Amino acid sequence: MDDLEFERLLKTTRLKLDDIERAAIQKDIEEVIGYFEKIGEIDTEGEEKAYHPIKVDARLREDSVSKFADVDMLKRQTKLHDGYIIGPKL
Amino acid sequence: MKSYIKEFLEVEKPKDYYGSLVAEIEEKNREQHFITTLNSNIASEDKGRLPFTVKANICVKGFETTAGSKMLKGYLPPFDATVVERMRSSGNFSFLGETNMDEFGFGTFGLNTEIPARNAFNSNYVAGGSSAGAAVATAMLKYHIAIAESTGGSISTPAALNGVVGFTPTYGTVSRYGLIDYANSLDKIGVIARSAADARIGFDAIKGRDAYDTTCSIEKIGNSGKKKLFIIKELMDKAEKPVSSSFEKLLDRLGERYEIEEIESGIIEKAIAPYYIIAMAEASTNLAKYNGYKYGMQYGETNKRYNNFFTEARGDFGSEAKRRIILGTFIRSESVRDRYYAKATQVRSMVIKEMQKILKEGFIISPALPIFTPKIEDAVKLTPTQNYAMDVFTVPPNFGGFPHITFPYDYYDGMPLGAQLVTEHANDYALFDFVSGWEESFDYRFKYNLGEL
Repeated sequence: MDDLEFERLLKTTRLKLDDIERAAIQKDIEEVIGYFEKIGEIDTEGEEKAYHPIKVDARLREDSVSKFADVDMLKRQTKLHDGYIIGPKL
Repeated sequence: MKSYIKEFLEVEKPKDYYGSLVAEIEEKNREQHFITTLNSNIASEDKGRLPFTVKANICVKGFETTAGSKMLKGYLPPFDATVVERMRSSGNFSFLGETNMDEFGFGTFGLNTEIPARNAFNSNYVAGGSSAGAAVATAMLKYHIAIAESTGGSISTPAALNGVVGFTPTYGTVSRYGLIDYANSLDKIGVIARSAADARIGFDAIKGRDAYDTTCSIEKIGNSGKKKLFIIKELMDKAEKPVSSSFEKLLDRLGERYEIEEIESGIIEKAIAPYYIIAMAEASTNLAKYNGYKYGMQYGETNKRYNNFFTEARGDFGSEAKRRIILGTFIRSESVRDRYYAKATQVRSMVIKEMQKILKEGFIISPALPIFTPKIEDAVKLTPTQNYAMDVFTVPPNFGGFPHITFPYDYYDGMPLGAQLVTEHANDYALFDFVSGWEESFDYRFKYNLGEL
């Protein structure tokens, strides 16, 4: 993986690494991607894709109003302004 | 059948039993670091119930739940996970605390967190991961049951390394509502206990459909006993001494009751790379939501611009988490998505079909790990792919959502060795019966018995 691609990934993932961590992680990622390449040796022609290990039925629950947990407990853990959570500027 | 749970529930406890237990745990936890959040009020809440713990990625209302990450420091869930609610409402269990783990479940040895748990038999050795604290707590507390979670081996590995029983159910039998996700198509909540009978009691308490988890769809769980044990040659070739030699002795003993057959299977051995591809792809999307202001760690510098804020706030992820976020995001990139992610889902299909064919005829048995328990100082030197190779036995059943159980079968140099038994989807009860049979002729050893009556 070249530096440009690594930079793109850091930007996409909103991660910042110092020089030491960056060198270590970039090296590890090279190693892991090399390991993942093994999958190319497997002939999967015509094989279906398993997104889950078991068959998951589409089930719907009753469309009814229910109270989600203790919202006040969640609110006490964040900074609020007029009941809204304060976040960064857009 | 040995059941510590039944034994505990049937006898009268001393007046300040729970207060003394909390004090004992606080003292031992200073060395072993198995509990991250302790319910010191259990004495006032308890009505003679058995203490249970949950892995720190399972939400408990009002108790700090961090999933082993600084990113969730201070997070007090406003609700109980379904498994917690079911344990409480069963009438037999009281919440004791949350157990240590690798950050978000990212690890084989329990070392990827700020202060790792230590092995219950010897604190110089790894506890195993990622449900490290759950297994150590079970090995240390005589009367207790742990609710843990496995994505690719996070129950089997620590249970084996701490000499206890680790049960991972069929994917879709236990609700994941309230679990802090690692990889949604692979995560399974299970049980760690001191005997197979106790693991079954725990499973019965938490299983069953849940309107809040659509993947929790399996209701009927069977008990189809098998007469045959299969050994997969390509996997066994990876086992090193003394694991391989001890395991041979186990097979000799089991050979008196079961027919044992060694078979070859090229595809099962190849499960590790596609497993990690899917796990990392799913993990990287799950970890996108940690942003430093909605819940958990509060970054606070809201005067910063949008992108700068998130980049600074997400600096508290550990190195392994950062590595998996970057790799998972790379795997999902449009240019390589088919080459890695799509192909991995096809390989998963092949592994499931192959294992289904084998498991119809019998159980698959293996050691839980290919190597003897490593010392912490040695485990930290392993590269990522050397770490992943440790999951050679635990990944196939986890990848395919097959139920499996780990149990102690020998001791070497004072440390336990664990074997792993796998069966068909929704045949979970057969595992408990097998291990209960084993326990009739083999005594498990425990170094500690905190809370002994």
